Amino acid sequence: MLRFVVRRLLLLVPILLGLSILVFLWIRALPGGPAEALLGERATAARVAEVRHRYGLDRPIVEQYWEYLKTTASGDLGQSIASRRSITSEIRQRFPATLQLAIVAMIFALGLGLPLGFLAAKWYGSTFDHLSLIGSLIGISIPIFFLAVILKYVFSVKLGWLPSIGQISVTTEMNHPTNFYLLDAIIEWRWDAFWDVTRHLILPAIALGSIPLAIIMRITRAAVLDVQNEDYVRTARAKGLSPQIVDSRHILRNAMLPISTIIGLQTGLLLSGAVLTETVFQYPGIGSWIANAIFNRDYPVIQGGILFLAIVFVIVNLVVDVSYGFLNPRIRLSR
Amino acid sequence: MSIAELESAELAREPSTGGLWREAWFRLRRNPSAIVGAIFVLTFVVVAIFAPLIAPYPPEEIPVDLPATCCPGPSWEHLFGTNVVGQDTFSRIVYGARLSLVVGVVSVAVGLSIGMLLGAIAGYVGGFVDSVIMRFMDILLAIPGLLLAIGIVALELPIPRLYQIMVAIGVTNIPIFARLLRGSILAQRENDFVLAARAVGVRRRAILFSHILPNALGPVIVQATLALATAIIDVAALGFLGLGPQDPSTPEWGNMLNDAQDYLAAQPLLAVFPGVAIMIAVLGFNLIGDGLREALDPKLRGR
Repeated sequence: MLRFVVRRLLLLVPILLGLSILVFLWIRALPGGPAEALLGERATAARVAEVRHRYGLDRPIVEQYWEYLKTTASGDLGQSIASRRSITSEIRQRFPATLQLAIVAMIFALGLGLPLGFLAAKWYGSTFDHLSLIGSLIGISIPIFFLAVILKYVFSVKLGWLPSIGQISVTTEMNHPTNFYLLDAIIEWRWDAFWDVTRHLILPAIALGSIPLAIIMRITRAAVLDVQNEDYVRTARAKGLSPQIVDSRHILRNAMLPISTIIGLQTGLLLSGAVLTETVFQYPGIGSWIANAIFNRDYPVIQGGILFLAIVFVIVNLVVDVSYGFLNPRIRLSR
Repeated sequence: MSIAELESAELAREPSTGGLWREAWFRLRRNPSAIVGAIFVLTFVVVAIFAPLIAPYPPEEIPVDLPATCCPGPSWEHLFGTNVVGQDTFSRIVYGARLSLVVGVVSVAVGLSIGMLLGAIAGYVGGFVDSVIMRFMDILLAIPGLLLAIGIVALELPIPRLYQIMVAIGVTNIPIFARLLRGSILAQRENDFVLAARAVGVRRRAILFSHILPNALGPVIVQATLALATAIIDVAALGFLGLGPQDPSTPEWGNMLNDAQDYLAAQPLLAVFPGVAIMIAVLGFNLIGDGLREALDPKLRGR
């Protein structure tokens, strides 16, 4: 097992290096070059020359890359043009918000997708099964930004049940020891704040969770159908085990293998889907931050944000791979 | 990797025999959801091609007398109502279909051709070349598709924005097709008919083009159909984020949805029409893709 993990970690190195080269070249290819991108459009020629020298942009490209690699690896991603704040500190504040949203969205998708998929397989060919298939196809085909806009219209604008934007009401004041607002509310023992944050999370989480929900439902159905016809399931039934035990120990546990891969892959994708969802709900996470940066041409933010999300994505995929090897000995032992 | 890829990679490992295409066509015709998908896609394509004949107004025309209130709902003059400056929503949806189709098809074609070329080289040459190409594909896959597309459009390449979007979405498709084709080729290379061809002295290129590629094509076609669905969503997503065509009055579905947000309370239909249009197009390609995958799946043959 250890060898497997180490091998996966080593595979990460060339990918991260390649990613850094790609982002480095990307900055150099930006319109007007990196100094102008840093200073914004109103920069004077003298100021540009000064910044070029300060950041070593007049030195050979390989040397520049080495410098870039060193500063980035030390956690320095520069500062935002618009807010003048350090990108690292901004990420520290915004990433917990995005992660919290992604986790809640995933809980929603799993909580609904697993049982629905399981029941669809149990009642294979029934009306429920057909409806669930149609539902999952629609879930995959509906653009999340459209779903988000509709949810916002129905539940905030029309019915007024839930808040339409933000992460917490402006009137709710609270300390933020972790920046995970739900966790903060628990630590601070503030149930009113907890409820407030939850209400703000519901609509974005449903919008963000819709695609994983549809996919998890489909995969669960397919996996359960697959396992249901295995010999060991028939044997278990034949020897008189209760249906509940066959369902939980023999069918679900084995069906979880393909399901767990999909869960992992989708968790990674949730992070990029957050760009759209967070924009609609003006949720102060990494996604809406990047979207705003595009609008303001805040290149350091776009660069830092994309690099950061890509690294998180790679790490999530690694964790998925490793846990898959953990769940399935055949993968671990082969190769 | 998407489910489609997982499943089509599985598909690629299965050996296939002659008559697959005819049988697949037969099975596709009997699959009700594939037929529904085909109807959706056909509608989408017909509307896109004949947009000037279908649309009652030029999509960018702003009438002299602006609507008094925002925004008039459906009426006989304006089937889907108008937006805040009085542009006819129905005409804009119709022309939007044209833009989505063209951008979607071109970007998938770009990704497919470059991806297949790279995948074929990697799979057939192997060794060092294979490692270099596939590691590069891994790096591209490490960036979530939409973010990669955003990054590329943000570069502001010296070409019109519409072409940039095609390039951006095309690039996100390259690694998917490269991986798929490489996997298929590796699987086909070990087949007996390839061994037989090699034994009788057929040249490498001829083996690749007349024996390996035709047999590796099934999963690629399935993936291309599903990639079209994703491309249409991505085009709209870029438009929604303000990275659509340069001229904001260009009828683009994502752009229209973005504009509708400001008038949501007054006229929610402004968001519903473009949203449903995207859904129908995407659902159509997804249904056909699913149907094709089932039809081409050798495991299900003869049932």
